[in-house]
Amino acid sequence: MRRRTFVSTIGSGAALGLAGCLTQDGDSDDTDDGTLTVVTYESMVDGENPAGPWLKEAFEAEYPDAELEWELLPDQGISHYIGEAERDISIEADVYLGLNIDDLVRIDDNLDEGGLFRELDHDRIERASRIRDGLDMGDPHGRVLAYDTGYISLVYDESEVDEPETFDALTEPEYEDALLAQNAQSSDPGQAFLLWTIDAFGEDGYLDYWQALEENGVRVLEDWTESYYGAYMNEERPMVVSYSTDQVFASAEGNDLTRHQIAFPNDQGYANPEGMGIFEDATSVDLAYEFLDFVLTNDAQAEIAQRNVQFPAVEDEYVDLDDEFDQYAHVPPEAVTVGYDELQGNLDGWVDDWAREFASQ
Amino acid sequence: MSLGDRIAADRGRLSALLERHVLWLTALLMAGVLGVMLYVPVGVVFGNAVLEDGVPTLSHVADVLTDPFYFGAVADVFADPLAIGTHLGSLAAWLGAVSITLSLEYPLPGVDLPVPWLALETPGVRKGLFGFTAYQAALSTVASVALGLPAAYILANYEFHGRRTLRSLTILPFVLPGIMVAVGFYAMFGQTGTLNTLLGTVGLGPFAFIETNPLAIVILAHAFYNAPLVARLTVAAWESVDVRTVETARSLGASKRRAFRDVVVPQLAPAVLTGALLTFIFTFMTFPIVLALGGLQLATVEVWIYDRIQRLDYTEAATLAILETILSLGLTYAYLRYESAQAGFSQAASRPTRESLVPDLRTTLSPRRLAIFTYGLVALVVFVGPMASLVVGSFTDGSGVTLRNYAFLLERQLEGESFQTLPLPAIRNSLVFGVATLVIAVPMGVVLSVLTVRAGRSGTVIDTLAMLPLAVSGVVFGIGLLQGLVFGISLPGGWRLQMTGAVAIVVAHAVAAYPFVTRNVSPMLANLDPAMVESARALGASRFRALVDVELPLVVNGIVAGAAFAFAISIGEFSSTVILASGSESYTMPVAVERYLGRRSGPAIAMGTLLLAVTAASFVVIDRVGGRADR
Repeated sequence: MRRRTFVSTIGSGAALGLAGCLTQDGDSDDTDDGTLTVVTYESMVDGENPAGPWLKEAFEAEYPDAELEWELLPDQGISHYIGEAERDISIEADVYLGLNIDDLVRIDDNLDEGGLFRELDHDRIERASRIRDGLDMGDPHGRVLAYDTGYISLVYDESEVDEPETFDALTEPEYEDALLAQNAQSSDPGQAFLLWTIDAFGEDGYLDYWQALEENGVRVLEDWTESYYGAYMNEERPMVVSYSTDQVFASAEGNDLTRHQIAFPNDQGYANPEGMGIFEDATSVDLAYEFLDFVLTNDAQAEIAQRNVQFPAVEDEYVDLDDEFDQYAHVPPEAVTVGYDELQGNLDGWVDDWAREFASQ
Repeated sequence: MSLGDRIAADRGRLSALLERHVLWLTALLMAGVLGVMLYVPVGVVFGNAVLEDGVPTLSHVADVLTDPFYFGAVADVFADPLAIGTHLGSLAAWLGAVSITLSLEYPLPGVDLPVPWLALETPGVRKGLFGFTAYQAALSTVASVALGLPAAYILANYEFHGRRTLRSLTILPFVLPGIMVAVGFYAMFGQTGTLNTLLGTVGLGPFAFIETNPLAIVILAHAFYNAPLVARLTVAAWESVDVRTVETARSLGASKRRAFRDVVVPQLAPAVLTGALLTFIFTFMTFPIVLALGGLQLATVEVWIYDRIQRLDYTEAATLAILETILSLGLTYAYLRYESAQAGFSQAASRPTRESLVPDLRTTLSPRRLAIFTYGLVALVVFVGPMASLVVGSFTDGSGVTLRNYAFLLERQLEGESFQTLPLPAIRNSLVFGVATLVIAVPMGVVLSVLTVRAGRSGTVIDTLAMLPLAVSGVVFGIGLLQGLVFGISLPGGWRLQMTGAVAIVVAHAVAAYPFVTRNVSPMLANLDPAMVESARALGASRFRALVDVELPLVVNGIVAGAAFAFAISIGEFSSTVILASGSESYTMPVAVERYLGRRSGPAIAMGTLLLAVTAASFVVIDRVGGRADR
């Protein structure tokens, strides 16, 4: 311990000479000055035709005294905020838009149960009751509300293979060397697909299923971009784990839809709801509640869905989508998701057992 | 003596004093920078592996060493090192099961060309994650040297139109973000990729280049990154060969071949071995290219480190990273012992005269020229192919040729909001950081070379330790910067010292870059005849004067090459930049590429193409400016 103190003293002395920045706890602006800081992931603000700028403009029009400031999610994702909370560094942001169930599990595994975000008072979010059943995300501490969802499905080329009806079909000779998947250690769709197989075959059966997939030649690549834009679109293989909104992009890109068919094995799709929450350290709490409610309005739900190409979180009667979106974005007959209770304490082990199975040399 | 004279005299004394100590002052400053930007961040993370509640422990290291998943068959040896009899027994049993067969194989799919194939049948040995990582790194090193040396030979010995530009552009692959390399490789070697399209026009294919042997494609991608490194290092050394030594050997009756083997090869060997060493270290810590092209079956140690960091299991991540670092530093030390044992005899950089590549038709059709052209074709496929396919990809979509990806960049630049990532600031930041990195890293690297070359065993030890930036897992360095600098160090009174933004990024880049300068310059300094410096010192020159007037002009090729690498490292750096730039305007081109990557890849690929264009232009400028000192 003493050695560490010594090292950090030397280090900070030298850093002062460089370009340090000294702050004192409580330095930050603690008053509610009408600025709402919202953390979100890159594609919400930086992608093509993102929903972020629209949300900011519409929210500020609705609440003329308020200013919405976007803050890009740091590279380490939720771990960044866990790290700050562990060091008692106060978090400047008010709202996080883009929270997953496994983020909540990660928080509770490392901080006090139910930490980092506030328990939401549903009385202050009028439109919370509009959210569809099955998207409640299952947080026992009530810290999160879904604002949209995606479904993981298979995308296949109908000129090369038939639609796989079931998971078991994927282990048959017809689909030998056909499937591209992603690494569940590092990729969101990859982890979703793994959890989907755990839902289908159980904790005790999923590794056997994956062994059968491996024997049938499944390829597990790093992430979605290389598996889809790299391997799949260069016709390395006829089938890839991807999103059920695939045709929205394919038609916008001018692609022939033959290679963009959607399959829901076992008539299921894996739902990946995205949620929003208010940080414990938030200073603009009232405004944060207004924002959460605003995100669930008809207009905001439609814009988020169409610009981010995700499905709205509210029931159909509370949102109007373009016909084109309805035509190309497919909803599975049954949506499955592995909830908070099952994930907590299990997720890391499940992924690790699976990854070791593949990487054993 | 008038006042003015006295001031002049004082100033003269002061500058003489400074001059005498400039090397040590730089070294001291450098040690400070390294302390803050390297040793503290890395130490913070490494501490997780060897400290348990503040008490030193080796149990985590032991856990990893004895886990067959990590160390395969060797884990048994680590678990029970004294059971020598048992281990020898299993080794003998393994050797007994080895068989060698000779057969005719048809290695090219669809081509009826039999090749005699010597197959070595070995019973499976569990390599473990470390074993496999070392195995693929060794193969990648062999491939990189094999592809890099011919390029160095051609660039150093032949004159042709555009040679200097080509030499400047050799290390262009170095700056490409991993994801762009992966997309480029699929676009080049995929079933509907550029190569298959070209082969299709002459009625061949399509071939499943990637699916047939994923490991081979991963190794080729590693060579794409690292063969240029080997080539650039070797060209710089080749152009600094003292030609008079060759002439002396020839006049003493040595044949051309003999003179090459006995005089030129020893002068090149340190550079080639440096290239091989760096390639091995880089490909040992490769990430994420193995999984992007090869798949999880080809996972390496770094993949596991990344996963452990993601899961906030810092103990195991740090343990794995420490073992990686020990291996890398061990190899570096072994090499540096060799390098420092080289006797220098070069007194001048009188570069060999270059032959014209295509003087006349007859020479052009000679076997040697044909071999060169064949290599050129291979280089075109391996190096130019993926980058060109990427550029083509940025101009196409499902319906054919399009400018929409560039329209996106233009629109973002013109109408983008302040919270969005804009192309021009990314380009500007990258260039500013690149130049600033160069300005810091080149003096750092040169001073380290000067102080450690010929300083005996202690010099080798210091040189080895100074290579830490190359030997530390990039993932761990990034997380160290986050914990040490972004979160900051807490001080008494509730104060907290943090470092982020532009200055921190530049210093982090310089720390990553100076080892390249050192590794370019040291082999050449070692190659110089020490008598030259000694005579300059005997005539009254300070150590600094001797360096500037005698040594540096002779190793200018190495400095220019090192500067180009420093710039390239800065432009291409992603993992620490993205951490230090978070929440600021200091994003760079690779960061912009990553942020534009969404469900449509076009905008990111267009940004990647801009990155290539801007970097290519900068390399040509660096080489032209640096080259002026040379000729």
